[in-house]
Amino acid sequence: MVVGIDGDKREKAGITRRRFTLGVLIASVAGAFGSLFALLKVLSPEKKGGGYVTTIQPGDKLVYAKGGNMGAPLRASSLNVGDAALAFPAGKSSNPANLVQVIKLQETEFKPPIHIDLTDRGFVAYSAICTHLGCTVSWVKNQQAPAASYTECFCHNSIFDPSRGAKVMGGPAPIPLAQIGVKVADDGTLVFTSDFTGPIGPQVG
Amino acid sequence: MSIFTWFDERLELKKFKAKFLVKTFPTHPTFLLGELALFSFITLVATGVFLGFLYEPSTKMVSLFGAMVPAAYASVVKIDILPLGMIIRRIHHWSAMLMIAAVLTHLMRIYFTSAYRKPREINWLIGLCLLGTAMVAAFTGYLLPYSQFSVTATSIAYYVSKSVPWVGDWMSRLLFAGEFPSDGTVPRFFFMHVMLIPATLIGLISLHLLVIVKQKHTEPRSNRNRKEAEGGRRLIGIPIWPEQAVISLSFYLFLLFVVVLMATYVPLNPIETYGPPSPGTPVMRPDWYFLPVYGFLKLIPGDLSFTFLGGKITPETIGGVIFPGLLFLAAALMPFLDRWKEPQHYIANPLQRPFTTSLGVGAGVFLCMTAVAGYIDVLHITPNRMTAYAILATLAAWGVTYTLLRRYSRKRGPDV
Repeated sequence: MVVGIDGDKREKAGITRRRFTLGVLIASVAGAFGSLFALLKVLSPEKKGGGYVTTIQPGDKLVYAKGGNMGAPLRASSLNVGDAALAFPAGKSSNPANLVQVIKLQETEFKPPIHIDLTDRGFVAYSAICTHLGCTVSWVKNQQAPAASYTECFCHNSIFDPSRGAKVMGGPAPIPLAQIGVKVADDGTLVFTSDFTGPIGPQVG
Repeated sequence: MSIFTWFDERLELKKFKAKFLVKTFPTHPTFLLGELALFSFITLVATGVFLGFLYEPSTKMVSLFGAMVPAAYASVVKIDILPLGMIIRRIHHWSAMLMIAAVLTHLMRIYFTSAYRKPREINWLIGLCLLGTAMVAAFTGYLLPYSQFSVTATSIAYYVSKSVPWVGDWMSRLLFAGEFPSDGTVPRFFFMHVMLIPATLIGLISLHLLVIVKQKHTEPRSNRNRKEAEGGRRLIGIPIWPEQAVISLSFYLFLLFVVVLMATYVPLNPIETYGPPSPGTPVMRPDWYFLPVYGFLKLIPGDLSFTFLGGKITPETIGGVIFPGLLFLAAALMPFLDRWKEPQHYIANPLQRPFTTSLGVGAGVFLCMTAVAGYIDVLHITPNRMTAYAILATLAAWGVTYTLLRRYSRKRGPDV
């Protein structure tokens, strides 16, 4: 056992010079390294307006998001029943939260919980960002029965029913894709008429 | 005066030779699996240095053949069109797959022969850290070419790390330098991939080797009588220099031959086909070692989320964090559950350890089934049915192995 200068005084044995020095050493090293944890905050920057925040305004024109005519206005006449296309609002394609999937179906196919008032002549649009882990959803077209086509995310095979408000029919997606209002304008192009009906993007954290 | 003498007079090389170069290696070929991992790592560093000279860690848009693409993507396309460039990149990728395969089979060899038992618990834990770090190394490498595949894969990982309860938000911003995709992610991943993770790997590998030099290899039980007859504590085998060195070198050269052959003829991660990031996600699967997690994510129903002590547990948390976390934890606990008073220096016969062997077989079948679950879309199996198959196959594999080995080991008597 370590004995201090006044080794004869028993009650002083609790704090010896060696223990005191060791304590100071541990405290200072812990303090020095502990303060470094402040750096972790610097290294994990907050992004302004983080997450998927859409900038779509009612009245924005829909343009093709990919393919040969990328950026060209999406015309109602170019989609037949059972067709779908990925679209951005014109001039706002840099924000991935703005990506939508426009689908043309028979109007008679629409069933709740779809927002009928947000559709027009069989055109319905949903956020194209999967609510599972943020991949872009794809359109699985059924050539024989166009009404049996559906939206699928190829990352982990979440399946959404476009005629029922993109209800989750299978797979790990937690909530439906949010619907957004579209209508056919007088010049035959498609325009947005509302904001998304619910949250978009991955539902984590 | 020879060069050797010159150095020997200054560094006492002869002493070193007498002390370390006589270390004995067991001769069984399964003892080469660890070396296979080490050699793959050396190839990775060598090819990585080449790629590092040419790669540009930036997502700034630049012009490439008239199209505007991220600078990182452009630099990798430029590597691919250099003489031998694409082959070097493929050797790098194949070696990464091979390294993880080698680490896994090495782990299996240690597990099934119970070589993790006292006194080798430390090296078992270091080995698990090596496996985890190697997988992180591979993962950070996914993003660097910044193709459509890279961005999709990294985005998935971003949301998985964000789904960690309590610290997920902060942790994902630390790892991905803010929210993904952001301009900071590629430089940060580049730094981790070429500096932080290799340095960690080198540190862990050195520790792993130091411990094996100190503790010596395990050896077959059949060596025991011979050893006792010779009265020595020394391992029966061959010395590092020159026998093992020659075997290792020829083994490495053969490995290089195989890897170069595969890199030449088997395309891998064709970024020109994937293209730069764009809207739309095609069907894409991760490299084989991430398939279990990828498949597991597909199996968890979307409505399975709940709150626990203020932390939100989502399907992504369960599939991407809790599932792999529990696997590693179970493996880490193994030597502490399989406790022995005396140090064990002989490997056990897996046929005579029904419990550990059947547990390992069950876990292996489970991982294979979750990997198969990654293909439910092409197999046309619903997630619930696949979950049932996975559970049944795992229980069957575990139960059958246990029953058979139990009967066998009773008949054979205890391990001798």
